[in-house]
Amino acid sequence: MTKTASLRLEGLCRRIGERAILDGINLEVAAGECLALLGPSGCGKSTVLRVIAGLDPCDEGRILLDGRDITHRPPARRRVAMVFQSYALYPHLSVERNLTLGMELRGVPPEQREQELAAVLELLQLGGLRRRRPAQLSGGQRQRVALARALLRKPQLMLLDEPMSNLDAQLREELRPQLRAILSGGRAPAIHVTHDQQEAMGIADRIAVLHDGRLQQCGTPRELYHHPANLFVAGFIGRPQINLLPQDDGTVVGIRPEHLVAVDSGGVPVRVRSREWHGASQQLLLESAQGPLRWTCDGNQEIGEELRLGWEPRHEHRFREASGERLGSPGRHA
Amino acid sequence: MSSLLLMAPALLLLLAVFVWPLLDYAWLSLQAQSVFTGLETVPVGAANWQRLLADGRFWQDAGQTLRFALVSVALELVAGLAIALLLHQRWRGRGTVRSLALLPWALPTTVMALGWRWIFNDPHGPLNGVVQSLGLATVPFLASPDLAWVATVVADVWKTTPFVALLLLAGLQMIPADLYEAFALEGGTPWQGLRRITLPLLRPYIFIAALFRLAQALGVFDLIAVLTGGGPASSTESLAVYAYLNAMRFLDFGYSATVMLGMFLLLLLGAAALLLWRRQAEVGA
Repeated sequence: MTKTASLRLEGLCRRIGERAILDGINLEVAAGECLALLGPSGCGKSTVLRVIAGLDPCDEGRILLDGRDITHRPPARRRVAMVFQSYALYPHLSVERNLTLGMELRGVPPEQREQELAAVLELLQLGGLRRRRPAQLSGGQRQRVALARALLRKPQLMLLDEPMSNLDAQLREELRPQLRAILSGGRAPAIHVTHDQQEAMGIADRIAVLHDGRLQQCGTPRELYHHPANLFVAGFIGRPQINLLPQDDGTVVGIRPEHLVAVDSGGVPVRVRSREWHGASQQLLLESAQGPLRWTCDGNQEIGEELRLGWEPRHEHRFREASGERLGSPGRHA
Repeated sequence: MSSLLLMAPALLLLLAVFVWPLLDYAWLSLQAQSVFTGLETVPVGAANWQRLLADGRFWQDAGQTLRFALVSVALELVAGLAIALLLHQRWRGRGTVRSLALLPWALPTTVMALGWRWIFNDPHGPLNGVVQSLGLATVPFLASPDLAWVATVVADVWKTTPFVALLLLAGLQMIPADLYEAFALEGGTPWQGLRRITLPLLRPYIFIAALFRLAQALGVFDLIAVLTGGGPASSTESLAVYAYLNAMRFLDFGYSATVMLGMFLLLLLGAAALLLWRRQAEVGA
């Protein structure tokens, strides 16, 4: 990437008492790029957003936005907009007033306010809801209002904290391409926090996986899937989960469920324990001498059936068991 | 029929403690029962009510009561809001101060009124001690009509501000913190946040606090009875104190009942006007 990074985090640390919530986060997000911060709950991903926004203090490290150090600026002076998980709409104000209040505070002249309001209402199809209060909106509508408010901030950086988590699954899938289109329409980089890897893969250009306050790996969805940097990322990315087979030499072999193939001889002997049928494929849970295995296939195996499974060496991931780090770099391509 | 049966306990209670005394007072206000009648009840028709309409002291007390209620409740709302905002911030020892702040309200009014009477005492009270240490002549706080009125307001504000603060603090805790965070990210200052977010969202709580306090302050009795006795020259007298004096000092029970009912009717009128105004405001909004 030759573009200069628009947002840069250098050794970001956040502590509460003795506990390190964030432990030296280094990250770059380019102009116009959408990065997903992915991790299990409690991994510190929301804290990263709050520190960048200035809502939580930064105990160590620097935050550079377009080359300027904003580490210790008050939130109001960072030109950062955030979509909150709760949306944080002002409950006593109409949609229109929710959207114009910020412009009013920033001294945008009334005619310009009206223009920008009209443009964003149009973009997010909120025109008919101008006079409604937040309580009179559906979850999806509230999310659009929150997004509209963030866009009107004309931010140099857009932060989204689990913006889909209050929506039902179907609506989430509908909104994903919309959100992606809107975010990639801007020049500002965006950071999207989520615990849902489907959402991360669907929206983001790159994904940063966070665990225990540390950055595990940062790359495109493909890189994370085909080339996980450690055991945590291998296990976290990909559904159904990767099969991990401990070896005698202190290493672990990882093999994705769809990369297992039935073989006539050699391989691992297994027995089918249960089965889920998903239409396009079926998901088998197998018993083996090395523990349970997951296999995604399109065959017609029956419960109780015994067979042998193998895999091509190029699909094999190998990790050191003790540290979890990756060994070598096979499996680069599927 | 069974619904009436189920409501009966509550209805009986209301009849016993509310409706019956009211009717009894209404009846009593049409009687003369005083030392002149040998405390016998003698029907006098509307004589008590005619006397009430022409009674300058009643109307003066009504004005004084209203002024006392409006001024002290207004001060309590402002001070209560300031204290609530302070107690809502995070700081060391906040928990302790929160409980301490409630103490004045937990104190029996009579006890605290006695305390304030001592504080305002001329010339021995602590306040006059401060005045004297400044080299000035002592001030007759409770003997001058204007200062005595101020003293009743000060004591009332001191006692009931914690109640208002507690109610408003509960209201503040209902406002999600992320609203302020969103507001700050939009470029708003804390002062703007108070005006644009806190006050509008606190409005229902302010209304409830004002309603509770106005109802109490308009019926103020114990504080004034103990602190000033309504004096000097009935300048701090409230309607409740006047009704009490009529019954217990002048032993004119018929007229005392009339004063009480008159006060009740005035309050009813005020409450109706307030409700009407609010309904209109809601329709307008």
